Amino acid sequence: MSKPLENHWTAVVNGEQKHLEIAQTTRLVDVLRTHLHLTGTKVSCEVGRCGACMVLMDGEPVNSCLVMAYQCAGSDITTIEGLHGEEKGTLHPIQQAFVEEGGFQCGYCTPGMVISTKALLDAHPEPSHEQIETGLCGNLCRCTGYGGIIRAVRKAGERCAIRETSAEETVS
Amino acid sequence: MLLNREQSGKRWHLRPDGAPKVTGQLQYLTDMTLPDMIHGRVLRSEYPYARILSIDTSEAEALEGVYAVLTSKDVPGLNRFGIATPDQPVFCEDIVRYVGDAIAAVAADSPERASLALDAIRVEYEELTPLNSTDAALAPGAPELHEHGPGNVLHRTEIKRGDAEQAFATCDHIVTETYYTPRQMHAYMETEGGLFVPDEEGRLNVYAATQHGYKDRMQLARIIGCPEEDIRVVSSPIGGSFGGKDELNVQPYGALLALRCGRPVKMHNSRKESVRAGLKRHPMKIEMQTGMSREGIIQAHRVRITADTGAYATLGAPVLNFCTEHCLGPYAIPNVDVEGVSVYTNNGLSGEFRGFGGNQAIFAMEGQMDRLAAIMNMDPWEFRRRNMREKNDPGPLNQRILVTDGLSQVWEALDRSELWQKHQSPPADPSLPPWIKRGVGAAIAMHGAGLGYGIPDPAGGRLSLNNEGKIEVAFSYEEFGQGLVATLEIMLCDLFQCSTSDLSIIIGDTDRVPHSGSSTASRSTTMAWMALQRLQTPFRSRVLAVASEMYGVPADELVTGPGGVWRKGQLPAGSSEAETPEKAERIEVAEIVAVGNESTQIAENYLGASQYLAKDEAPSGLVISYAELATQGEADEWIFDTKFDYPTTPDNVVGGHYLYTYAAVAAEVEVNTLTGATKLLDTRHVVAAGPVINPMGYIGQIEGGSVMALGFTLTEDAVMQDSRYVTTNFDTYLIPTIQDIHTNLEVEAIEDLPEGDAFGPRGIGEIGSVALAPAITAAIHQATGVWVNRLPVPREQLVRPLNVPLQEGVSPS
Ligand code: FES
Ligand code: FES
Repeated sequence: MSKPLENHWTAVVNGEQKHLEIAQTTRLVDVLRTHLHLTGTKVSCEVGRCGACMVLMDGEPVNSCLVMAYQCAGSDITTIEGLHGEEKGTLHPIQQAFVEEGGFQCGYCTPGMVISTKALLDAHPEPSHEQIETGLCGNLCRCTGYGGIIRAVRKAGERCAIRETSAEETVS
Repeated sequence: MLLNREQSGKRWHLRPDGAPKVTGQLQYLTDMTLPDMIHGRVLRSEYPYARILSIDTSEAEALEGVYAVLTSKDVPGLNRFGIATPDQPVFCEDIVRYVGDAIAAVAADSPERASLALDAIRVEYEELTPLNSTDAALAPGAPELHEHGPGNVLHRTEIKRGDAEQAFATCDHIVTETYYTPRQMHAYMETEGGLFVPDEEGRLNVYAATQHGYKDRMQLARIIGCPEEDIRVVSSPIGGSFGGKDELNVQPYGALLALRCGRPVKMHNSRKESVRAGLKRHPMKIEMQTGMSREGIIQAHRVRITADTGAYATLGAPVLNFCTEHCLGPYAIPNVDVEGVSVYTNNGLSGEFRGFGGNQAIFAMEGQMDRLAAIMNMDPWEFRRRNMREKNDPGPLNQRILVTDGLSQVWEALDRSELWQKHQSPPADPSLPPWIKRGVGAAIAMHGAGLGYGIPDPAGGRLSLNNEGKIEVAFSYEEFGQGLVATLEIMLCDLFQCSTSDLSIIIGDTDRVPHSGSSTASRSTTMAWMALQRLQTPFRSRVLAVASEMYGVPADELVTGPGGVWRKGQLPAGSSEAETPEKAERIEVAEIVAVGNESTQIAENYLGASQYLAKDEAPSGLVISYAELATQGEADEWIFDTKFDYPTTPDNVVGGHYLYTYAAVAAEVEVNTLTGATKLLDTRHVVAAGPVINPMGYIGQIEGGSVMALGFTLTEDAVMQDSRYVTTNFDTYLIPTIQDIHTNLEVEAIEDLPEGDAFGPRGIGEIGSVALAPAITAAIHQATGVWVNRLPVPREQLVRPLNVPLQEGVSPS
């Protein structure tokens, strides 16, 4: 017989170990927004369709409205608050590109978009148009018509590629 | 000018709210929390139409952790709201008229407990047969949903000119068609909600999205039965609205619960609740009959509009007015017979939505134009030109309008475009399988801005030098994503040659802004521009006069500049430019904003967002800084106010507009005739709306409007069955994703305005969304020969059997 779940939950969130006493059936989005006050992760459809709640779980993009606490206990979670440039307090090249290219309007979809873009560029540093479409088709945006987002993703791709090349050069 | 980043050069202005938005630090009003807050929920109707026999809240009240259960008995003031016609009950007393109707509200110590309490409220209903269509509602003997009938008619419109009856008799060709448009959903990403905080002085602080804080304040005061000054409404930033948050939504419940409990109450609708309770675009049936002479000149136009306004009035009447005005298109038609009716039903709630009834009208009218051109065997664009109004002709309602060249300019620019030229000889692509068909279509529109004649449309604004030495503007407009704050920054930097760090921009807080009208009807850019035109001279004169007095330099040798007042000719190079991309490279993120902090800080944190942008280096050689100036004299001597009305036509035609923007759109589509799927390949929007102040915002509004129109055309419909929503979330209500959008979209801006035009840049919030649908359906016609008359385009109409040889071994079914 399986043991009843205990309410002790721990995970690494944005690089910090977190311990909470919560029901294991709490949704990750509520763990983040309500219990950890990380309201950068947004909530909109709650059925896994809009991507506003996207976070990285062990590096993979997941809809945090569909993940229960017990499913992510012990994992490494990155939210929009965990993304930054080379130093804390600066913008990540993806965030920078969204600002420069007008990749947002109301901004409510933006944290999710940025997170999905991060996952996309991690997998495909120089994504083709099809890869951008596939990578971001789980994120809805009602304001921008996606034009600015696509331009931002392309620019971020170029930037990340440059950064990576220069990093390799320093290593070699 | 083709509008893109490259063409925009230094006017490509980075939004001050960029860094907080891309880092997730920006707190929307639905992100706000307070340590001692409780949670509010609303009990909504089980039926679209029913009589309430009894409501028993005792069990809910007895639950542990429940602080309040409110029903209609608990509304101290007016138990009704609605911007134009307050006929929507805060809580229903005896009848429910749609599935979003509110019966009770609860506040409890957790959202879970609040929903338990909702379940514990016992409501007995007598179910009635819903009026699930306008036909049912107009049928003789149909029950009347409201006392203020007659019947179930909210509003009627009429335009009659000449003698249509007679003219039709002499016409050589007549096209008759009925057009249907869907119940489109705003689908803003942030659902309705906010925080409601009573304070020690007995005031209520409302942090909830709206397009017009003052209007909310007025309505809430009426509901609560208190002076308006007892309420403060903080209403920006907003995670999208598109017209959908203009009416009150959660505010009455949050406000009443907070006052009853004496504690902060948080409300946040789930998506399902948002769909069920919220506004939609009016579904319309538009019957049109258009007749022309042998030469292809339109002689007569008969239109019957039936709009399903749903359970309550909201802005149903003005929407119908707008639709009526726009169903004549930008054409000169001598004999006109238009009638419109807006009908109450039990089908949800229709209201304001980007385009405001123009989208439906333009889809129908442009559809007629293509059909007429086809009968004439004439190029549809040339056919439009022959029938277009002349520059000096009156507007659609025979009213005087401001003369511009916009219409002919957009016509010509589109005519020249490569995309439209393809229309002449659709390129045959032999690499495509035979069931893939391509076509190109186009449409043109004139679209009124402002609320129109006879509707109070106040505007104004405040410009001041605040005591920190910032040039401060305050408007009652809202930032719901359109980039208003960035546009204001650009305007102010242009006017005063100052830098963004000299500015303080205040919006979205009734305690801090003057009453200057709402962010609706594509009006804020024009209004802000006009206000600043009026305010700049008195403001500048005082600044220069004081500086001149202090330093003994004649005022006419001084100018305003970055940081303060400068001697003429000595401004630092490039100072008049808005933030450049180079500066943007230095964007840094400020300290993380504490969450759940003293809530009143939120607006300030947001509005102080320009701190995120790199500050200019302290300029040398200036005469006096703004900060020093601000210490001279009394603070109120540095404040300048203006009040005026949005320009309207001088002619007495209710709803008639004075300012119009113009657009032409071409679209190329690819139709898969095996599946009926349509893909938008290439689009060009030509827009004549005066000077482009903020290119990034302009492109974004047109792109966003265009994709919203794409959804309106191909996929979006909040389907109802027996007055209940079938499509309740984004899994079945399909808005375009990044995979569904135009492969290519170009925006061409025509910036000319007549010499001495006093109204400046026109708003472009709606013009991108009004003419795409007919362009797409025209393209579908060229591709497939099917005349589409219903949106979203029914796929089954486009499926064509093909004589494709069957594969070996596959038996025909
Ligand atoms: S809120 Fe999670 S996908 Fe929409
Ligand atoms: S920017 Fe508003 S939803 Fe994407």
